[in-house]
Amino acid sequence: MFRFRLDSASGVPPYLQLVHQVRQSLLLGYLREGDRLPTVKDVVSDLAINPNTVVKAYRQLEHEGLAGGKPGQGTFITGTLSPATPDTHHALRASLERWLRDADAAGLNDDEVTALIAVARNDMRKEKV
Amino acid sequence: MIHDDVVGNAPALRTAGLGRRYGHVWGLRDCTLTVPAGAVVGLVGPNGAGKTTLLQMIIGLLQPTEGQLEVFGETTRANSAKALARVGYVAQDHPLYRDFTVADMFHLGRAMNPSWDQGVATARMDALGIPLKRKIKGLSGGQQAQVSLAMALAKRAPLLALDEPVSSLDPIARLDFMRELMAAAADTGVTVIVASHVVSELERLCDWLIVLTGGRMQLAGPVDDLLAAHRLLTVPRATRDAELPGLAIHRADSDRHSTVLVRIDPARLAAQERREWGVEPVGFEQLVLAYLQRPSGASTDNPAQAAARPGPATKEVTR
Amino acid sequence: MIWVSWRQSRSQAIACLGVLAALAVYAILVGSSMRTAFSHDGLAACLARSQGTSCPAAVSAFMNKFGSAVNIAFWSVLLIAPGLLGVLVGAPLIARELEFGTWRLAWSQTVPRTRWLAVKLALVTGGLVLLGAAITAVITWYRAPMDRLTGHLINNVYDFEGLVLTAYILCAFGFALLAGLLLRRSIPAMIAAFIPWLAIRLAVEYLLRPNFQAPLTFRQNCASGCSVGAGIGSVPPVTGHIGDWVLGQPAGQSGNQLVSYLYQPADRFWHFQFIEAGLFVALTAAALGAAIWLLHRRPA
Repeated sequence: MFRFRLDSASGVPPYLQLVHQVRQSLLLGYLREGDRLPTVKDVVSDLAINPNTVVKAYRQLEHEGLAGGKPGQGTFITGTLSPATPDTHHALRASLERWLRDADAAGLNDDEVTALIAVARNDMRKEKV
Repeated sequence: MIHDDVVGNAPALRTAGLGRRYGHVWGLRDCTLTVPAGAVVGLVGPNGAGKTTLLQMIIGLLQPTEGQLEVFGETTRANSAKALARVGYVAQDHPLYRDFTVADMFHLGRAMNPSWDQGVATARMDALGIPLKRKIKGLSGGQQAQVSLAMALAKRAPLLALDEPVSSLDPIARLDFMRELMAAAADTGVTVIVASHVVSELERLCDWLIVLTGGRMQLAGPVDDLLAAHRLLTVPRATRDAELPGLAIHRADSDRHSTVLVRIDPARLAAQERREWGVEPVGFEQLVLAYLQRPSGASTDNPAQAAARPGPATKEVTR
Repeated sequence: MIWVSWRQSRSQAIACLGVLAALAVYAILVGSSMRTAFSHDGLAACLARSQGTSCPAAVSAFMNKFGSAVNIAFWSVLLIAPGLLGVLVGAPLIARELEFGTWRLAWSQTVPRTRWLAVKLALVTGGLVLLGAAITAVITWYRAPMDRLTGHLINNVYDFEGLVLTAYILCAFGFALLAGLLLRRSIPAMIAAFIPWLAIRLAVEYLLRPNFQAPLTFRQNCASGCSVGAGIGSVPPVTGHIGDWVLGQPAGQSGNQLVSYLYQPADRFWHFQFIEAGLFVALTAAALGAAIWLLHRRPA
């Protein structure tokens, strides 16, 4: 049975954590199409979380086309998350290496590079809200 | 689902201007809320905030001094069999008779509750490995809490009230207790209200929230709606509260900037948002702590409450 | 609810039965030898004939032998025993629930708290009445031979026979129950109930009981020497009739040849018992009624 985990200190809402864990496992190949997700009762008894949280997470997965419920039988993985195609990866990797060389030439060390990436990400997120 | 014939479509809990006075002191005042059936409610507040007062009125142990209280659509006199039958109660420190055996406690439950289901109680003890012949004083704290919970669940009441049920337990016992509680909620659809002052544990449990301080309701509503209605704004220090797109709940001022947790007024948000402001969503614990830190005299300006109560509009608190 | 009351009182009930059993064992041991001596010394016939005047030697021999079994110190302890019994049973009944917080369990089940108390009171007072009756019966049986010499109207005998012992227990129980509700702690409630109980107990015995009915006067001609018999050891008392309770001499007599004594005749025993028991039962009812009313009115 697939076991979820919950990080109370992460600040991410519980239902989103469950959704992310399913997505992550799909990407890594730990979950495959046809696998049965644990029942609401199973998850609740395991993690001591609100049953509605699990319902919400499963509904979100259905909405994203990743899972579907069969009445009386449970919730099953119905889709896959294809990671980006090898071509996309290759192109992104190339532009990333160019950028890193630029940063290095400008005198940024590793920590400053990491901080710059974090700030940029944060600003992009805010724009979405 | 439990007692569908009793529950019907009524909200689990409805109060209007509920209050209780002890002598000259108001333990709870002006409490108005509507909790839907099947919700798991977190009741948060510091000690002395009125959590126990509210719970005891809901349970039927305490008569309100003013206002109305309906449990599943019915108002009853406190300490009547009808009021007491509707709510299963796990009191703080899960009191039990220490010389009784577990079987004796269940016998008491059966003798004092017409709706008692002995199967529920014994099944739980089986699943947890707690022997029926053991005396209560021979059980660990966690096991005693489980016995109290089993008794409340075996009563088959449609509402379950717990007053800080795990505050004296070690972390493993806490987790076990909450597991059983949530499993019961998943199984039977029982409405649960848990009073606690440990905020971090409530996020995973609750889909409904009530915050009390100083005997007054500061916040009440479904967790998702509440979180969606608030933002954490990073603004220049000089920004006044009146310029913000909503009610400032908590403000932390640094030298050049301030971080303000704001309850957004949708009408003002579009008009007032500016580019140099940072806007972030608010987390559960952040939200609760912000409301807990408000002075208890501050107006809540709660839309639901304002709509329910006719009278002069409450004024915003500005700094 | 009856089972619940019984289960919570179970250990107290067993302790009370233990006390009763110990008392019964003592009573049987001493009582048997008393009965043997009584019939052996031919006291029965002597008393029937002459109220004891014709066999003073046998009387005093009997009294000396068994008087210590009824001595003042022992009976003084037994004076307060009904009070102790009552407060020990009554104080924890409500106070223990309040003290340990189990009231939040007991009063949130589907039984209103007043019904909870009413059933408990019915069961426990019923038990105390049975206990009081049993103790009274044991003591009455045990004392039967001695009673034929002294009667049972006099102090320290009257207190353990008839109805009053049960009434004392009930009154102490009622006071302690009410004190427990008010003070919320068992031990302070026991003390707070025992002191007024004892005060009333002594006041009734020494101030009221001698006057439940107007005492009669007995005049003795002392021209030819007086027998001064007013104490428990004199058989018969100065009135010449076994069982009369001599109260003493009214004031203002000296040097008269005709000495007056106030006394209560033996046949008033049951009348007095009903008055005194009624008084203590009324106090019990008042205390229990107040407790039920207060419990109904408590905020939580």
